[in-house]
Amino acid sequence: MKFTKLASATLLSLAAASFSHAVTVDVEITNLTQAQSFTPRLVIAHDDTVDAFEVGQPASTALAWLAEAGVIDDEQNADSSGANFEALLGPVDTDNGSNTWHRFGGLLAPSATLSYPFDTMDKPYLSLLAMLIPTNDAFVGMDSIEIPTEPGTYTYYLNAYDAGTELNDELNSARTDVVEAGTGNALGGYGLPGVAGGGAPTRIVDLGTGGTGVGAQVVNGEVEDGEDGPVHIHRNALGDTDNAGGASDLDSTVHRWLNPVARVVITVPAS
Amino acid sequence: MKNPIVKLSTLLILSALVSACGDDGDTGPQGPAGPQGETGVDGTDGQDGADGQDGVNGNSAVYTVQITNLTYAQPFAPAAIVLHESGYHAFAEGEAASMGIEVMAEGGNPAMVIEEAMDSTDFLDAQNSGGILGPKTSSDMFTLVVPELDADDLRLTVTTMLVNTNDAFTGLNAADVSNMSVGDSKTFMTVTWDAGTEANTETAATMPGPAAGAAGGGGEAAGYDPVRDDLADVVRLHTGVTTNANATDPSREGLTTSVLTEGHRFDFPTSRVVITRTR
Repeated sequence: MKFTKLASATLLSLAAASFSHAVTVDVEITNLTQAQSFTPRLVIAHDDTVDAFEVGQPASTALAWLAEAGVIDDEQNADSSGANFEALLGPVDTDNGSNTWHRFGGLLAPSATLSYPFDTMDKPYLSLLAMLIPTNDAFVGMDSIEIPTEPGTYTYYLNAYDAGTELNDELNSARTDVVEAGTGNALGGYGLPGVAGGGAPTRIVDLGTGGTGVGAQVVNGEVEDGEDGPVHIHRNALGDTDNAGGASDLDSTVHRWLNPVARVVITVPAS
Repeated sequence: MKNPIVKLSTLLILSALVSACGDDGDTGPQGPAGPQGETGVDGTDGQDGADGQDGVNGNSAVYTVQITNLTYAQPFAPAAIVLHESGYHAFAEGEAASMGIEVMAEGGNPAMVIEEAMDSTDFLDAQNSGGILGPKTSSDMFTLVVPELDADDLRLTVTTMLVNTNDAFTGLNAADVSNMSVGDSKTFMTVTWDAGTEANTETAATMPGPAAGAAGGGGEAAGYDPVRDDLADVVRLHTGVTTNANATDPSREGLTTSVLTEGHRFDFPTSRVVITRTR
């Protein structure tokens, strides 16, 4: 009897000891907007050779996939294979030397909070990215913060950036009366004009139709898929109050935001 | 014993013969002086001396400041970059702007902001960035030098106008940069203020930037105006430009008289300022 207790006590202390050496932190993300959902969150712990985005610098193709379509890896969209963050960083949930990353799946609805454990594998920096939907190419970004090592709770506020890889036409991608200029392709996500994610189950209102375009104009039923980079602070959605016309298919009383758009709380457990 | 004597005498005779050979012709008169020789070639310059050793910079702290414009379409006018001790403020929210802030925020010239700072006993050093910083781009590094003994109580003030506005400016208001070690960097994400010195009419005749220029206005004539006609003559956080977008849709929320478009809108943060201590 005594022996058993001693043995279990030893096991417990062993478990506690190994826990104290773990580098798993808790990452809590709150969506501070009223009508923009976050696509699956890419969380990267990394060294100083990894820079997922940088203001004043052009976006990578991987960032374009994330910001225009919410896509991080092959599993989400096979078409992105070789060009997405999985291609840039390496396999998921493993130590890739310069980084380790995870996709926190599902949508984070406006005003919602979710928290996750994340093993940082002793990397010094943390970055976090997710697309804002419905937008053309807006994303919320945490840019290489130093991961705290002292036990405690650390709060960060994040801004919305414009990836600069697509003009902010604010056109509903479900529309069939507008196509991409030159190709005739339907509106959509990566590499196409139009707002992605309008039909998300977490949407606050349905998108309008009939908009003539904001950052790019509809001409004879066509709209161009231009660029407006490098990466910069997003000037916000415009929207309008005409659900069947006006310039935008977004609603100016619903879809706008102001920075910051997210709060991240990192908890480093006591050792 | 005769032999040595004979030999001695022979030697004497020989030496007498030798001396009798010279000095038997007359010496001639001295000849005329020759013509002057040509001027000699100048000698080559000596080698440069070796450079002196670097002085010991024992009592200066050196900082670089870099600004990144985070907006989509708001160029920044030349920036005033000032290092000073605590106590000085170029402006204060809720109070009327100085004339230097007014001139800078309406017309873009930061020179008087720097002059006003230099009048303060807390002033240490300043730079006028001197050029326009385009949207979505980073500036050069600007270097400022202060006495090292002031590094423990150091503040950074930056002001720069958003040129496609009436009187909006971004920057830093006495941000604490005390006690930085050599190699340390601090990054600030900045808000934008309304100087409160000019109504936000967003017309071509009242804004100096390219948006007004494209509409037939802009330039110096559309910059500083001593009249203070804003809603209140106080510095406060800017609410963003209204623009003419949505001026004709049912919401009518746009400003029909504005020459700005939705592309000129901006949100906070408006700029990123990175200060690094290099020595």
